[in-house]
This record gives sequence, C-alpha cells and structure tokens, in this order.
Amino acid sequence: MGMDREKNLHRLQSAYGCLDEGFEIGKEAYGGQQYSHIYFARLHLMRTLLYSLVSHWKPLSPVCTVLGLEENKECVIVGTLYKHMKLKPRILDEYAKERSVVPLVKPHNFVHSDDYLVLEDESGRVKLGGNFISPSQYVTGLVVALHGMSTVAGEFLVLDVLEAGLPPQIDRPLKPREDKYVVLVSGLSIGSSNSNPLQLQLLIDHITGHLGDVTEQSIASQIVHVVVAGNSVEIPTGLLNGQNLASKDLSRIAEPIKELDIMLNQIVAGLPLDIMPGPNDPSNFALPQQPLHRCLFPGSSAYNTFRSCTNPHCFELDNIRFLGTSGQNIDDLQKYSEAKDKLEFMERTLRWRHLAPTTPNTLGCYPFTDRDPFFIESCPQVYFIGNQDKYETRIIKGSEGQLVRLICVPKFNETGVAVMLNLRDLECHPLSFGTQLSS
Amino acid sequence: MPMKKYYRQRKKAANNRSSKSKKKSKISRVPCQAEYDPEEEILRKFDMDMAYGPCVGVTRLERWERAQKMGLNPPQEIERILKSDKDIKVQQQCLWNKKIGDNYKIIEYYMAA
Repeated sequence: MGMDREKNLHRLQSAYGCLDEGFEIGKEAYGGQQYSHIYFARLHLMRTLLYSLVSHWKPLSPVCTVLGLEENKECVIVGTLYKHMKLKPRILDEYAKERSVVPLVKPHNFVHSDDYLVLEDESGRVKLGGNFISPSQYVTGLVVALHGMSTVAGEFLVLDVLEAGLPPQIDRPLKPREDKYVVLVSGLSIGSSNSNPLQLQLLIDHITGHLGDVTEQSIASQIVHVVVAGNSVEIPTGLLNGQNLASKDLSRIAEPIKELDIMLNQIVAGLPLDIMPGPNDPSNFALPQQPLHRCLFPGSSAYNTFRSCTNPHCFELDNIRFLGTSGQNIDDLQKYSEAKDKLEFMERTLRWRHLAPTTPNTLGCYPFTDRDPFFIESCPQVYFIGNQDKYETRIIKGSEGQLVRLICVPKFNETGVAVMLNLRDLECHPLSFGTQLSS
Repeated sequence: MPMKKYYRQRKKAANNRSSKSKKKSKISRVPCQAEYDPEEEILRKFDMDMAYGPCVGVTRLERWERAQKMGLNPPQEIERILKSDKDIKVQQQCLWNKKIGDNYKIIEYYMAA
C-alpha cells in the first residue's frame, strides 16, 4: 500500500442524529389492551389536524359527526375509513361450515369491484356512496375529511375528499455542499439458498474502498453512511419443528447471523452503519420492529459506528431527514389497494401523513395506548422502503414547497443492486454488482 | 336467597301493581349502594365518557393523563380522586376491567377443553 501523501484519501463525515424514539416500545408493559386505543389516538390526532384545514377547504359547510348527519344537507365529516372487502381473508372462514366459493383472482391482491368504504367516528358509521371516492385507492384505518350529504338511502354521498396532505418540512440549509453519499441496501438474505457471498463482498469492498482505481476509491471515500434496510438474514426455519434442536442444528441456525456479523464488521470498521430489522430477521414481528440485539453481532457491535435501529427508522444526516421502513407497510398496501407502482403507494402514505394506515387491521402492530407512532409529523427529505422487487425512485413536490426523494430499495440478493444517494442534491443512482462472466 | 325473594315479589305484584313496583325498586337499589361510594360513581361516569377514549386496558390515571396530553381537558376532579392517598383504596382500574378479564378466562377455558 505505497500511498504517497496526495493519494491518501480521507473519508468524509456527516452529522448524524437518530430520531427513533417514537418507534421504541421501551418500557411499555402490555396490560391486556386492545387496538381501540391506537385508533382513538389516530382519529384524535388526525381529526385535530383536518379540522384546522377544513375551514380553508370548505368554509361554508358545517362540520358534523356521523350521528349528527341530516338528510340532503351538505356538510363535512371527519372519521376513520373502513374498507369492506369481499376477498379479504378472514380467520373465521376456516371455521365456516360452508367454505367461501369466491375464488381469489389475484392471490397477492384482495381488491374487488364490490368493495365499499365506510366512515366511522366515535358516534357511528356511515356507508359512503357516489363515484367521487374510489375504494380501490383507499385502505382501512385512514383518517380523512369528506364533504357531501346524507342521502335518503342512508348513505353519505361523497362530493369531495380532503386528505391531510404532505406534512410540513423543515427547510434544510441551502449552502453548497460537497458530494456525500449514503448507501441503502436491503434484502441481503444471507443464508438463503441463492445467496451470493461474492456479490455482497464486492459491495463491501466498493464501500470500504478496496475496489477499483483512485477515481473509484475517491468516490468510495465520499460514502458517509450505510443503511441496511431489513431481511439481512434468512434463518433456516425448516430446522424449527417444535422439537429440541440438536447442537449441530443450533449452530446451523446461528450461521447466517455469524456470517452477517463478519460482513458488517468490515463496513463498520470504516464508516457508520445502521441496521434495521425486516420481516425475516430475528426481531419481533409486529411493527414497530425493535432493534436487533447487539449480542447477535459480537464483532460489529464493538464499534460505535454500528447502530442497530428500529423499523421504521428515522434519522438525520447533515440535517437531511430520512424516513424508511423495511417495506412491510407498502407491501401491505399493495395487497389491499391499487396503484400504478410502489412509489405511488409511498407518495400516498406521505399525503395521508400516516406511515402504515393498515396497522393494526392487516399489518401487525404493538397496541399503543397513548399515541400512534406511525403518524408523520415532519416531512422527510428522503423516504425509502426496503425489500422491493426493483429499484425505483422519484421526487415529489408538495404544495408548500416540500421536496421528497422516494426510493424503493431492491432486494440485493436477487438483483445485486444497492442504492447510492447524494446528500448534496438528493440525486440517486443504483449500484449494480454482478458476478456472472458474460460470455 | 335473593332469587327467591325476587320471585315471590313478582307474584305479589300480580295482585297489586302499585305496591309491587315500589318494593322492587327498593330491593334492587340496596346492594348497589353497598357496592361503591360516590367517588367511584364519578370515576365510573368518567370511564363511560367516550370523549376520553376507550377505557379497557389502561388504568384510570393513564387514561386521564392521555386525555390531558391530547388537550381534551378531562375533569380535574378525577385526577384528585385518583391521586388522593386515602385509607380507602381507590379503584385504579376501569369499570369493565375485571369483567372482561373474566370473559377471557371463560373463553380460554372452553378453548382448552
């Protein structure tokens, strides 16, 4: 390594702030509560917000509750949506004497043309009618304001819909900056049958600057942060059959984690890394997923650059706010609603100001009693989701000048693609690795 | 033997309507009065007030504090009662707490059987 002084590259650094407090379950003790609390907290929070917007939106219409609706009188109501879905799997179907004969058209999507929406608040619920509001876009658990009138049939004829809109964004300082990169990667799936250790090693070597010539190394030295967004390992669950495990099986189960630790160790020796749990990782199932335990990573956790985080994960790098999940929230929306691509689902969650409206209905979630952690208070500059089929990205703009970079991070194991994001201008590009020799 | 009394009373009532209704109300009121004091009455009303959200699964104080945090202005009196260190133990759990818990036990029992 005969490097002279000019070629001695120094890795850039950035100021990091973790904003995961809201996602930590901490000392909360489960006291037998059900999910009514989280819906109450959500409705209260969102309704206060929507009421403040209604006066600009429909200044002439009175605001009333579902119980206070009067026939043929235009008004505004605020409540939680419930989508009645014909194809939604129900646990009771298993016990039904007559099995449901409705076949699933697409097993990955439960949307049907007969679906309809119901709006409810503390006082009651009302079925929504009219062609203005299309049920396929919306999901259960979302809080909206509706303008319309009650019909003779007892339905509420919707004339207009108000969503909470993009949250306010904290302006970032516009001083000219140098190029600084953040690498987002997800779905390493170490331990799965098709995992490719060489591919991952190439990524690590690229990040740590062990690959390529000086130009490439100088780019590598501008990488200031790495985020691993879920599904880092694939535990061989076939071994878990309810019996006591033989000692050789015990070590086989731990094998993927050990390998992950060795891999991450190489990165954290050089630069900060955040690891988020995903649906396949050894963390809790229900969102918010709690950080993977440090003792799983005896090597990496010795470094203070290694940070095990929650999923969803929110942090700041040089005052740029990141918000990301390992993908469960968007994957669940895809099952219960329709959009043209994943980015549109992401955009909707921001406009709804709710990271995961389908919790707790179809997505597991801790029964919080005093808050709804998925409410988005402040608009991130970068919003990413992990474990997607392909890399997609887009910038969306809000009415108040908000600017958000949306990123779908693909599964690295299947695509060999990680994502590089430039903190200077929020431009991003895929980082693709292949180990196949083209013939 | 409250059951028998009740039954007998109904029979009597068939003969004389006005006296029956009076007696009935008297009898049914007595055990209720013995069960809880006026403070519990206030707390139960607080439990049943839907404006402060669901009450099952949180203690009364937690529910009061949540309402306070959300700016719903729950009555100060509730906090005073709940935080008072009187000799008589103030019920910290909501009205339904025990009952719902018991229902679960029954369900669990049948599921296990």
